[in-house]
Amino acid sequence: MVGAQPANFEALEAQARTLLAIFIASGYEAVAPDIIQPAGVFLDVVGEALRGRTYVFTDLNGEEMCLRPDLTVPTCRLYLARHPQADREAFYSYNGPAFRFQPVGAGASHPREFRQAGIEAFGGADAGEADARTLVLILRALQQAGLSKWRLQTGDVGLFDALLDDANMPERWRRRLRDHFWRPDALHAELKRLSTEPARSAAAFPRSLIDALDPEDPAGAENLVAAYLDEQGIELIGARTAAEIAEGLLGIAADAKAPPLKPETAALIESYVGTHLPAAEVAPALRRFAGSAGAGFARAIDAYERRLKLLADSGVDVASMEFSAEFGRNVGYYTGFVFEVIAETLGAESPVAGGGRYDSLLKAVGAPRNVSAVGAAIHTERLLAVVRGAKA
Amino acid sequence: MSTHLTFAVPSKGRLMEQTAEFLAASGVTLRKVGPERGYRGEIEGFGNIDVAFISASEIVGALNSGRAHIGVTGEDLVRENIVNVDERVELVKPLGFGHADVVVAVPACWIDVNEVADLEAAAAVFRREHGRPFRVATKYINITRRFLSGHGLADYRIVESLGATEGTPAAGTADLIVDITSTGATLVANGLRVLNDGVILKSEANLVLSKVADWSDTAKAAGNDLFTRLGLPNRV
Repeated sequence: MVGAQPANFEALEAQARTLLAIFIASGYEAVAPDIIQPAGVFLDVVGEALRGRTYVFTDLNGEEMCLRPDLTVPTCRLYLARHPQADREAFYSYNGPAFRFQPVGAGASHPREFRQAGIEAFGGADAGEADARTLVLILRALQQAGLSKWRLQTGDVGLFDALLDDANMPERWRRRLRDHFWRPDALHAELKRLSTEPARSAAAFPRSLIDALDPEDPAGAENLVAAYLDEQGIELIGARTAAEIAEGLLGIAADAKAPPLKPETAALIESYVGTHLPAAEVAPALRRFAGSAGAGFARAIDAYERRLKLLADSGVDVASMEFSAEFGRNVGYYTGFVFEVIAETLGAESPVAGGGRYDSLLKAVGAPRNVSAVGAAIHTERLLAVVRGAKA
Repeated sequence: MSTHLTFAVPSKGRLMEQTAEFLAASGVTLRKVGPERGYRGEIEGFGNIDVAFISASEIVGALNSGRAHIGVTGEDLVRENIVNVDERVELVKPLGFGHADVVVAVPACWIDVNEVADLEAAAAVFRREHGRPFRVATKYINITRRFLSGHGLADYRIVESLGATEGTPAAGTADLIVDITSTGATLVANGLRVLNDGVILKSEANLVLSKVADWSDTAKAAGNDLFTRLGLPNRV
């Protein structure tokens, strides 16, 4: 494909004006973040997986840069440039190009260069209200641009986090389960491993050394590791210190001694992850199977229910909204509500719009602490294709 | 545009010799044409096959773009340099030479890290202590990313290393490496150890076919003749 066809260009411009006018009228200031971004920020936030789908390059100064794969991180950086303390509420909107690598043979719905029109809201005190406001505004903009029918797919990463926080297990296990959240098979295997005895065998590690380590005496543990390496003729090379290695061994020893995860806890996590329901049935269902799972999970369910009510009050058809616990796994930075707007003609693989809550992203990008943040973007080429198809 | 079949063969060293030996074992004789230092060749009795002597890494590019119909190159180079391998090429036959394992190796002093799964806990403490993720030095950027991300490791950074990769942990420019090894002696000499489940790929030279080359009737016939001679089933 060599650029957008002239007719498409005009139509996309007209559509963008419609979308932006609605965002601006709702109090979202129009901004234009940089197209070329330092790759390091994205690599920190998204990880090396970024390189699999982003145009990363080294410029003549030897700096690693990238063409922005979306506008969320660039808009966060723009907000921090204006408000380094991240202490101000701010509402931004944008319309501009984003770039993603596509393998040969990717369809017309997956162009490597496309335009996103979207909104981001930072610093709002009421998360549920900000979530609902974001989705309502995106739907209104889509409707104004001519989209008449869609399907809403939602999820809530916060529910999974709350469930893990309440469950009784070492923090190390929690971290491992969070890391595996986006890979169902690995999560299942990890749960099985943690709930069978012993959770993590220490047999493969130097036994006498592990037995000698005292969790209450980190300095002593460091000395023992250094002495062990010396005795074995192993040189300590690289940036990792003997103290870190000692901490690693203590973790392994603690895992080996820890009682395995209770089968009912593992079962609870499994059944949560397997939840696919109409959005309106989720809260009662979760309350039913969670029983007395914990106060944090109960609060997360309450927050879910309140957001649903706010959406319904704003006229969103929540009866046809779907919920999937697994939904939102594939983007690393979401921390709460996530949604996608799907047009049947393009299918679930090519959503017309999507967004969610990402409360830890601003800190990762340089803010002094976590900042409440929620946003969403419209894939404008897809929207145009759907709207035109409907007219044809 | 020639309708001949283009066969890309490594241009120098052991790989070239062993390719010639592999062909000779089936009575197929590879010959250079033109000047002694030239890069064109032919196969005796196969008038419709042009041989191109090019470097093993460029052979992958030639197969991926379709400039060559078949070629001999390492599986490691194929998997590193082609995104959708199965759509672009077919690995027809491993040839039994050019062996190299692509492995994850860590400093031997990391006695708390035996498996890839152990890296996650070490990376979390490392970030807390040093304020940065692990750096992984490698020339296999794509293979490394697919392998580590596939194991659920998220907090690491790849640094490209085009030579002396084994020395980077001791030098402090990286924390662990992904590299090729045949005997492991170089790793040991540099204070490194392969993780128990750290063998990513057991690579060797392969006869590789391009699915995207222009397979004219002449090229097809030439390819089938050659494959028959080599005792391989017809592919095209």
